Amino acid sequence: MTESMNHGIGVDIAFVLLAALAVISGWRVFRTDSMVRASFFLLVSFIAVGAIMILLAAEYLGVAMFFMMAVEMTVMALFMVMFMMNPAGLNPMNMVHQERIAIGAGIAGFVVLGAMALFAAFPERPLPTGLDPVRSLGLEMLGDSMLIFESAGIVLLATMIGVVVLSSHRGRYGAAAEGSMPPGLAPGGDPAGKSEEDEEAGGGHEHHHH
Amino acid sequence: MAVNWLRKFASRSAATVFPVLGRQGEAALHRLALTPGIELVDSPRHASVLLVAGEIPADRFEPLRRVHDQLPHPFAVLWFRSEPWPHLEDVTRIDALDALPEALIAAHRELLLGRRDSASRILPDEPPNPWEGLGDFGQGGEGMMGGVPYGRPMAMNMMDDVRDGLTLDSLSFRLGPFYPGLPPGMAAEITLQGDLVQMWSTQLAPYPRALDPVFFAARERPVPIAELELARAHHHLRRLFSALRLAGLEGASLSALRLARELSPGSRLDGLRRRLVRSGFFRLSSLAGGALEAEQARQLGGPAARAAGLDDDLRSQDDGYRRLGFAPVTQSAGDTRARWQQLLAEIEQSLQLARRAERDKACTERMDSIETPRGPWLEQLPQDGSSLLDELMPGLEWGDALATVASLDVAAAERSLGEAPA
Amino acid sequence: MIVDQLILPLLMVLVTLSVGAYIVAVLDRLMAGAFGAPRGGNVWLAPLTRGAWLLTQHANATEAPDWRAWRLAPALYLALAAIGLAVMPWSASLVATDLVTSVVLWGSVEALATVVIFLHGWSANALLTLIGGYRYVALGLSYILISMFVLIGVALPAESLQFTQVVASQEGLWNVLRQPLGLPLFLIVGLGMTFWGPLDLADSTDLAGGTASEVSGPPRLVWDIARAAMLVAFSGVATTAFLGGWLGPWLPGPLWVIVKMLAVLSVLLLLGRWLPRLAPERCVTLMWVVLLPLSFLALVWAGAVALWE
Repeated sequence: MTESMNHGIGVDIAFVLLAALAVISGWRVFRTDSMVRASFFLLVSFIAVGAIMILLAAEYLGVAMFFMMAVEMTVMALFMVMFMMNPAGLNPMNMVHQERIAIGAGIAGFVVLGAMALFAAFPERPLPTGLDPVRSLGLEMLGDSMLIFESAGIVLLATMIGVVVLSSHRGRYGAAAEGSMPPGLAPGGDPAGKSEEDEEAGGGHEHHHH
Repeated sequence: MAVNWLRKFASRSAATVFPVLGRQGEAALHRLALTPGIELVDSPRHASVLLVAGEIPADRFEPLRRVHDQLPHPFAVLWFRSEPWPHLEDVTRIDALDALPEALIAAHRELLLGRRDSASRILPDEPPNPWEGLGDFGQGGEGMMGGVPYGRPMAMNMMDDVRDGLTLDSLSFRLGPFYPGLPPGMAAEITLQGDLVQMWSTQLAPYPRALDPVFFAARERPVPIAELELARAHHHLRRLFSALRLAGLEGASLSALRLARELSPGSRLDGLRRRLVRSGFFRLSSLAGGALEAEQARQLGGPAARAAGLDDDLRSQDDGYRRLGFAPVTQSAGDTRARWQQLLAEIEQSLQLARRAERDKACTERMDSIETPRGPWLEQLPQDGSSLLDELMPGLEWGDALATVASLDVAAAERSLGEAPA
Repeated sequence: MIVDQLILPLLMVLVTLSVGAYIVAVLDRLMAGAFGAPRGGNVWLAPLTRGAWLLTQHANATEAPDWRAWRLAPALYLALAAIGLAVMPWSASLVATDLVTSVVLWGSVEALATVVIFLHGWSANALLTLIGGYRYVALGLSYILISMFVLIGVALPAESLQFTQVVASQEGLWNVLRQPLGLPLFLIVGLGMTFWGPLDLADSTDLAGGTASEVSGPPRLVWDIARAAMLVAFSGVATTAFLGGWLGPWLPGPLWVIVKMLAVLSVLLLLGRWLPRLAPERCVTLMWVVLLPLSFLALVWAGAVALWE
């Protein structure tokens, strides 16, 4: 406790500003009219929280927060842009729905977390000086299971790359540009797994989805 | 005072020029690319001088007005061999090619020094269509989205993907006629999914490209083959310039242009070819796709057809050429890569023919059939082939699509507008 | 204390940023001249006059852009480059912020750069900028992965995520020799992340300037400086992670860092002028099918070497 009391006024100011930034940008997520803006407001909110973690001397967790959230929000935005070539301002969207449930869940969540912060008895355990937070965090979280976690990570990544390969145009039935078609069930028959409707639409080029 | 100092300093910067090409305005482009102190830019936002080079047909006035208004203040407009619009104030018209670079640099400098007023906007600064807001968020329609904001259709998914079944929103827009990646004067309606071309419909055909006067002379009398072949190599090298510039090989593109400028029977292509091979142009660049089928190739004619394996070349019917040992070179693949290999081979062949023809004083003998650099000229000059792109573009990625357009000489050929032969 | 911990490091980063960006501009012009661009004017003055011109030019508007994101994106990209330069050590003691997780912080700079570049393209509300931003996001993920694996590789022998420790671990043998795959992979990623030369797919000529095709005036100047500064930051991190940072005989440490950074910058700019722009599809294949497995290999190699040592 004594150590944490020794911080300067600068840290307090930084905390208040970052906390305000986190809350305000979190609020903006629900008030904006575009998915891209919403996801990047969320990113700003997370970055502010990450910076607060750094203030709390959790350097690795804070920086990892920047890193992970940036990638995560990019992937979110990527999928949104992939499915919606929707530049700024061209078409604003209504970003909220099922408002009543959402408000209820929000209030409940706030009450529970607030109660925890106020009423829980946090242990008082001064840390030894010279503790290496990164190393101790790694041992605390992974411990003996380091190898398992690392292997699982590689497997997950390999799976992701597999998905990319499968979804690329060089599909299992040849390049899509050259009419990738599964072979017929009978020799020389119609391609398997193609519905009647698609055939009528003549390759499905003028086909509308709504 | 400080601002004055800044402007004085800024006036020493290179003049950034966005060229808007009218009919046969390319000569200006090629001249400026090699001029120090002038930077040709691809976007009107990056320019301080708008150069209108060549006569702009009336159906391209509206796009020109919009490009004009896209230049950031302060900017100047110069008209090169083109009639300035009468309602514009403070216009400069230049007709001599030699005076053009200096005029551009001067305009840029005077603009920054405050000796010249910026051109003013022509169109009112308002969206072309009113905002049709509907819904709580002005999202333009019922539900979460929908509607036609600013008169543009929503980027909504209207068709299946032509590539891999991952259906993205499609984006429809009109590009041209002053987009530097397209042949001068060409405009197209394009629908993209991601950066994959889904639909392409050519709206305005490119301006006819000027043929060297020697090809017209060859219709009337025998002309020295050396002269004809140099003009052909010149034509091809200039096309190579724009393609290499598009591919991000600025240095190589300029050496193609320099080679074209100083072309003589003694010129060698080896240096440029080696440079292209070593830079990996044929392996790394966007050259896949754009393969012509036999029918399309025949329709277009010229080097593109020979790159697709057809050995049609009217030069092989001419006895003058036959005595020089002419035989058409061909490639087989017919795609963009094959077209550039074909073009390099043809330039080399032309230079070789020019050398031999100069030694033998060889002249053409047939006058009713001439192989122009654009294609065969029997009864009529090679005609516009830009509608071919409508079939060729869908399914190509954006980079491949533009590289394909650059590799195809689709513009019609026409007589040069009183331009001295190069 | 404020002078030591805030003002001096800040000054150091600002000086590196501006001098570095200027040197990139000059070097690139020299290379362009060597590759056949028309020579004219003073190479040393040209970047400055160009900057002055952009300062006097108006920043244009597009129809209904996202103003905040559009104006902020160049500044944020510059800020990210500054963060990269701030964690890069000039000597064992001379470093703006010697964070214990500086390697991870650099990783998040790369990740956030993706966001910023995308925003720059998206917020202009124009077609070509949007396509540019979209292209970058599609490729940016692969750049981040490759760079992370390569950087984990240099963290292994150092047993630390701190760049100063990474340099210290190269006392006996520089990582460029210890992990031969690392530096080439990292440099390719560097070209990709600053979309320079062959990997300039976001701001490319086929998109008339891509994400930057609609900006003019001061925002464009900031964007250009930010790209150059990011290249400098990349060369700094490459120097630190693979070329032994301040280590070297005769010269004082910071001078060694400058020499090595200049060498890395020259290689990057040379590649930029020499190679054509890669086809995006080819680039995706190259990244995921060739370079990512190679970065796995580099990591396994680094682990094996670390165990053996």
